[in-house]
Amino acid sequence: MTTINLTVNGKQLSATAEPRTHLADYLRDCHNLTGTHIGCEHGVCGACTLLVDGVPTRSCITFAVTCEHAHVTTIEGLDDDEIATELRAAFKREHALQCGYCTPGMMVSARDVVLRMESPSEHDIRVAMSGNLCRCTGYVGIVRAVQSVIEARRKRGAGAIPDGNRKLLGPAGSGHSSAVAANGAKPRETSATKAAASVAAAPARADANWTPQTTFVQSFTVEHPVDQVWEFFGRIGEVATCLPGASLDGEPVDGHAEGRIKVKVGPISAEFQGVADVSRDDATRTGTISGAGKDQRSNSATRGLIGYAVKQGDRPEQTRVDVTVGFTLTGMLAQFSRSGLVQDIANRLIAAFVQNLEAKLSAGEGAARAVAAEFDAGSLFTSVIIGRIKALFASVFRRR
Amino acid sequence: MKPVNFDYARPKDVAGAIALIGDESRTVKVMAGGQSLGPMLNMRLVQPDLVVDITGIGELKAVTDQGDRIVVGACVTHADFEDLRVPDVTHGALPSVASGIAYRAVRNRGTIGGSLTHADPSADWISILSAIGASVTVEGPAGSRTMSVEDYMLGALEADLRPGEILVSVSIPKLGKGARWGYYKSCRKTGEFAHAIGAFLHDPERGASRAVIGATESKPIVVAAATAFIGDGRGDKPAKGFDANATAKLLEASGMVDQIDRQTHVVALRRAIERAYPA
Repeated sequence: MTTINLTVNGKQLSATAEPRTHLADYLRDCHNLTGTHIGCEHGVCGACTLLVDGVPTRSCITFAVTCEHAHVTTIEGLDDDEIATELRAAFKREHALQCGYCTPGMMVSARDVVLRMESPSEHDIRVAMSGNLCRCTGYVGIVRAVQSVIEARRKRGAGAIPDGNRKLLGPAGSGHSSAVAANGAKPRETSATKAAASVAAAPARADANWTPQTTFVQSFTVEHPVDQVWEFFGRIGEVATCLPGASLDGEPVDGHAEGRIKVKVGPISAEFQGVADVSRDDATRTGTISGAGKDQRSNSATRGLIGYAVKQGDRPEQTRVDVTVGFTLTGMLAQFSRSGLVQDIANRLIAAFVQNLEAKLSAGEGAARAVAAEFDAGSLFTSVIIGRIKALFASVFRRR
Repeated sequence: MKPVNFDYARPKDVAGAIALIGDESRTVKVMAGGQSLGPMLNMRLVQPDLVVDITGIGELKAVTDQGDRIVVGACVTHADFEDLRVPDVTHGALPSVASGIAYRAVRNRGTIGGSLTHADPSADWISILSAIGASVTVEGPAGSRTMSVEDYMLGALEADLRPGEILVSVSIPKLGKGARWGYYKSCRKTGEFAHAIGAFLHDPERGASRAVIGATESKPIVVAAATAFIGDGRGDKPAKGFDANATAKLLEASGMVDQIDRQTHVVALRRAIERAYPA
């Protein structure tokens, strides 16, 4: 816990809170200032917008501790504000609210538009207010209210202040306080240190009616003959080592494998533990794999079904591998998705995989072949892993 | 929707930040304005042991004039550009682009360094700064490195930061007198991440002619000699000479297979060039 001091609506307030407490929670829970509403809690809906150092800020994605000694104005502090008073009258006149949930944030953003924009068109106002969502009014009344206040003020000669009177550089709320040292708390338990047994060793393909949310096709080529590649793919343990972050819990039994993969992209890191059922057809050099995995930290789960085919490449010494991946992701990671980034991340992963695969194939001519039969069951665990990663990132980055 | 219970530190200088980031026994995340990291923390997509808040470091919020360029601290916000608290040396390019990032409440906290380091392909700064020809400086235990903005971004959500390094500043060249720029982003909803971005700069005085296609699935595509697309850029309407086919081929070669996606990006670049030469 940390003592957090703020000047809220002109009063110096202090309370102890955890560093993870965002500004909206700090004001509501510690100071009973419940006029600040929390909607989406990830910076999209604008309901929690309030003034920090005089400028609008999303209080749900601003941590209270980062604003130490800053000046905060909530909707409760706008009672005597000139623009807010005019806006309240206009909101009433124009029916700019129904349920009122978005209204505190709307008022703060509307006040900012009135303060900063000299003579905005209706379109300008709509663009400037687009960060605040209202599910009742259709915005018509809100836009009219803002427009009417601006017109009235400009008529009386109250001009706009484009910079909102902010003179300091840097994030609003920052820079009012001295350094804070970490308290040196021990790292929390990660999923790796928890019992690994939480993923049931049940068959991955439990539901025959399951259909994936997303499907895509990926191909790559390696500079080695088809026979060699097909045979190498039978050695699941070695194939798994070609993918950065992947490992098996043990040798697969009867086409059933268990393993894990650590994925780290940007600030996100996840460790999926999972099971996979594999089948492999030597005659057509095709196979399928059905997998399921779970990331403990984010409490997210994924299922995937992969079909693959190993084919002759353009040249005799070249092999082409076609993979079809279908997957579904559920849980926390699925809430925050950006489908557009899948290909880049998958491409980089596959590039690393192919590089490792080439190295293994070149180094392992002969020597490694003897152990092939041991791993016969799990030919395409790697593709499951690729599929899981793709599944993860396909869903993690849906556009906000 | 509450983050994990992380530890918090607010170092007073860059050296203090580097010392904290170098701690390999814990998961450490650097936070500037927190407008991308905040949502990810709330959703527990990111679960750090320690958050290092770098917004208390004065040096990261300073702007210095170095003659032919300005050097802007990593923690300078989008609104700082929009409101001209950062002097404009780009004939309005950066203030204009900054004013279109997300929403005002986000721009009041979101920072240029945070955006570049988050390395979202759809973000605005990476594309416009690549067109302008900006560079970044990172500092770490082994000293500092400077590289071009487009080299700093390795791919989707990956910046070129070695262990213990942080981005400290962005260096923005002053554009020449006759320089022209254009920027266009395709969004279905105001403030959302762009589906396609086109950015264009022609600066005869500095001998620069650059075209950038952004909001791809990876780092932006930077064409350092944009004359390939628009001829020599002379004449009344250089945008007329825009070679849509060459652009589409470039996109296809870069792995953009979807035809609609390609077309959206081609149009974004064409409109950016048109905006550089308004009728």
